[in-house]
Amino acid sequence: MMVVALNRLPVTDCLTLCHRVVDGLCGREPPRKGDYSATWSLEEWLQLLHSLTALFRLAVGNNSSDEEVLAGLADVGRSHAEAVLSVLRARREEIRDALLDRTNSISSATLQDFDWQLKLALSSDKISSLHTPLLSLSLDVRENRALRSVTMEMNREELNTLISSLEAANKVVLQLK
Amino acid sequence: MRFRFCGDLDCPDWVLAEISTLAKLSSVKMKLLCAQVLKDLLGDGIDYDKVTKLTADAKFESGDIKASVAVLSFIFSSAAKHDVDSESLSSELQQLGLPKEHTMGLCKSYEDKHSALQGKLRETSLRLGRLEAASWRIDYTLSSSELREVNEPIIQLKLQTQGAESGSTETTVVSVSADKFRVLLAELKQAQTRMNALQ
Repeated sequence: MMVVALNRLPVTDCLTLCHRVVDGLCGREPPRKGDYSATWSLEEWLQLLHSLTALFRLAVGNNSSDEEVLAGLADVGRSHAEAVLSVLRARREEIRDALLDRTNSISSATLQDFDWQLKLALSSDKISSLHTPLLSLSLDVRENRALRSVTMEMNREELNTLISSLEAANKVVLQLK
Repeated sequence: MRFRFCGDLDCPDWVLAEISTLAKLSSVKMKLLCAQVLKDLLGDGIDYDKVTKLTADAKFESGDIKASVAVLSFIFSSAAKHDVDSESLSSELQQLGLPKEHTMGLCKSYEDKHSALQGKLRETSLRLGRLEAASWRIDYTLSSSELREVNEPIIQLKLQTQGAESGSTETTVVSVSADKFRVLLAELKQAQTRMNALQ
């Protein structure tokens, strides 16, 4: 592991960097090379980033104890190691959620987001007073990193059918908790 | 002159012309013809053999048969489209020259099927997609290459939807985390409440 290179940063900067690395792991903006170009070469930077990400990922993935994490940071100064550990402690849940998200998307399409719109259809070419409520549901499905949108329009009966089907599934989920 | 069953517009010339064709049938036969046309409009199909027999007495040629079916289809669907009651329809058809006996038979048939007809028109109105079927399965993930201890449920959802073009069925299989699933269900129920409040 190349985490030893962390020693070149002051402890406070090390904290910031670790938080940014966790941000990147959780799907937000990762740290930028430009902010650290004076400290590390490109190769060192890439290795450090890779090692730190792997450290957080494995520590949470394997549910490692503090001792095990510190043992992996033996080459790093005590105060730097503590800084890494404090970031890990603070963001363990968030990292777990990100890993859970990755787990869920292994070999299947996942629901990323959804939106709905309730409309009242007033009139059509077939009947002048239609007065039918319709629900448009749009599902953003992520498959192999690509987003696909699935849309459907449901009338009252179709929505009732969907909800009662999902209710039955929800009962099972609640029993598992 | 404007007619309610024509959407407050003039009666089309061809309808006016074919009303006199209808008058050539006996009122009883015309009422039976009405039943066939209504069956067709409600999606149950028309029995052309019966139609030919019904119109045989009046010595209808195939052109007359087509015209009388077309004009009855127009009267029924247009009146239902504009939600015209049978009394108004009756007076308007008599103004257009349909004999009283014929009008009574036609309007009785219309009155009986009025709501079924409107239901059919509502059902066949333009829809941009429909939900045809939904099926699900709950999995419990124990472990993964990312996370040694997962122990979380995940919902596999299969939705069969029909696109804006009829006949184009699309199947979507998607896995939904328990948290997202709860939010999805809660929001759909919220929408359902709003929808039910509309009536």
